[in-house]
Amino acid sequence: MARYGMMIDTRKCVGCYACRVSCQMQNELPVEESFIHFYEKETGVFPNVKNEIIPVQCQHCEDAPCVSVCPTKATYTTEDGIVLVDEDKCIGCKYCMVACTYGARTQSHKTGVVEKCRFCAELVKEGKQPACVSTCISNARIFGDLDDPNSDVSKAIVKYNAKPLRPDLGKSKIYYVR
Amino acid sequence: MIWGTIIAAYLFLAGLSAGAYLTSSYVARKYPEAKAVRITGRIISPVLMAIGLLLLILDAEAGLKHPLRFIYLFTNFNSVMTIGTYFISFFMLAAAYTALMEILKKETNKYVEYAGMLFAVATAIYTGFLIGVVAAVPIWNTAILPILFVVSAMSTGIAGTMLVASFYDSKAVHRMLGVKKIHLGLLSAEVFLIFTMFLVTSYSNESAAESVATLVSGEYSTIFWIGLILVGLVLPIAVESFELYNDKKMKETEAGIMMAAAGQGGIAGTLVTESSVLVGGFILRFLLLAAAVPVPFL
Ligand code: SF4
Ligand code: SF4
Repeated sequence: MARYGMMIDTRKCVGCYACRVSCQMQNELPVEESFIHFYEKETGVFPNVKNEIIPVQCQHCEDAPCVSVCPTKATYTTEDGIVLVDEDKCIGCKYCMVACTYGARTQSHKTGVVEKCRFCAELVKEGKQPACVSTCISNARIFGDLDDPNSDVSKAIVKYNAKPLRPDLGKSKIYYVR
Repeated sequence: MIWGTIIAAYLFLAGLSAGAYLTSSYVARKYPEAKAVRITGRIISPVLMAIGLLLLILDAEAGLKHPLRFIYLFTNFNSVMTIGTYFISFFMLAAAYTALMEILKKETNKYVEYAGMLFAVATAIYTGFLIGVVAAVPIWNTAILPILFVVSAMSTGIAGTMLVASFYDSKAVHRMLGVKKIHLGLLSAEVFLIFTMFLVTSYSNESAAESVATLVSGEYSTIFWIGLILVGLVLPIAVESFELYNDKKMKETEAGIMMAAAGQGGIAGTLVTESSVLVGGFILRFLLLAAAVPVPFL
């Protein structure tokens, strides 16, 4: 059993949206729906300002609030720590959207089901990388098993001292270098 | 707004329905002669709850397309929504039974009624906990919110019942001073709870402070001050106080006592107060949903 997670190096991200587009293709999303959102954040005081581009998607929280509030158990966590939505159970009540701290969920206009990043669970099962990771033009994304200290992702997290967006809000599994 | 007007209406109707049930149970014991009020409360209660549930189903799009999925609503006991679904189901059963007995003019089984009262309270509390447990939205995530929703549920319940009952028995409505006093107490408590909640949460959390700001001085300030505070709370508090005061004075003169006993006096006061309480009850829920500011994550 693995505990899948990701590291995103925002210093490498150029904001090209390639990951977002590949994710939309992988999940057959229409143009106006996406699982990856881009945020910009300016810090510092002129002239020492830093402008970060931060791609945000489902953080695959441990003890995810969306899992506990989902009344139908449509949202669940796999043994490998991936948070998924069972399309055949979701009623579209949007409780999970309200409960998610990261604004990671989108309601499908077509089906009314609330969806989000799935870490491309079907690709991962075949030993492949999620679409956003393999597409990233600057290798800003690394995916792998957080429980394995020798995985690329674990090593990179240690090396760059990557941190979840809001570690104080609960354990999430996407680490950011900022 | 992820949850908008429809969910606000659902929360409002669930509270109103629970409040109406409790009002009628109270009136049945305290004022057995006020049949119109008792019957009204018992009949509007399941009807309003049913409308609320319909709205909830309408808002749950994926379920609307595949209605069988609603069965899964009963499965996750970690979810407040699942617990609430049980509460509402039991309440709905009891309320529908009570209404049916009233229509058939039969005696209501008192144990079913007790269960109904219990689940009415549970339903009202649930509407508060539904959003109260959402840690991502600090203005909701307080212990005061469920209490506020319960108080508001009772007050809208009294208002809804009195409003409808006054159309065909204005006298009974006038005579129930006990209910008026309770109502006045609830409305005053609501004002106190709203401002306590705003004050406490905005001091402890920045997102909550932002939520409060959009309500008291920002985007929603007009509807907050005029709709909720003035129309929904101050106006009914003023009218109810005036009526209670008047009533006390009336009892000091002979003619007044006779008038009071006969339940004279127009229903204008009742109509104004009760409708404004209902408007306020809906606005309260709408505003709390609209002013949700999540914690920042960047
Ligand atoms: S980021 Fe949001 S959707 Fe993803 S697991 Fe956490 S709470 Fe759920
Ligand atoms: S919208 Fe679907 S996945 Fe989200 S809480 Fe409701 S039933 Fe669960």
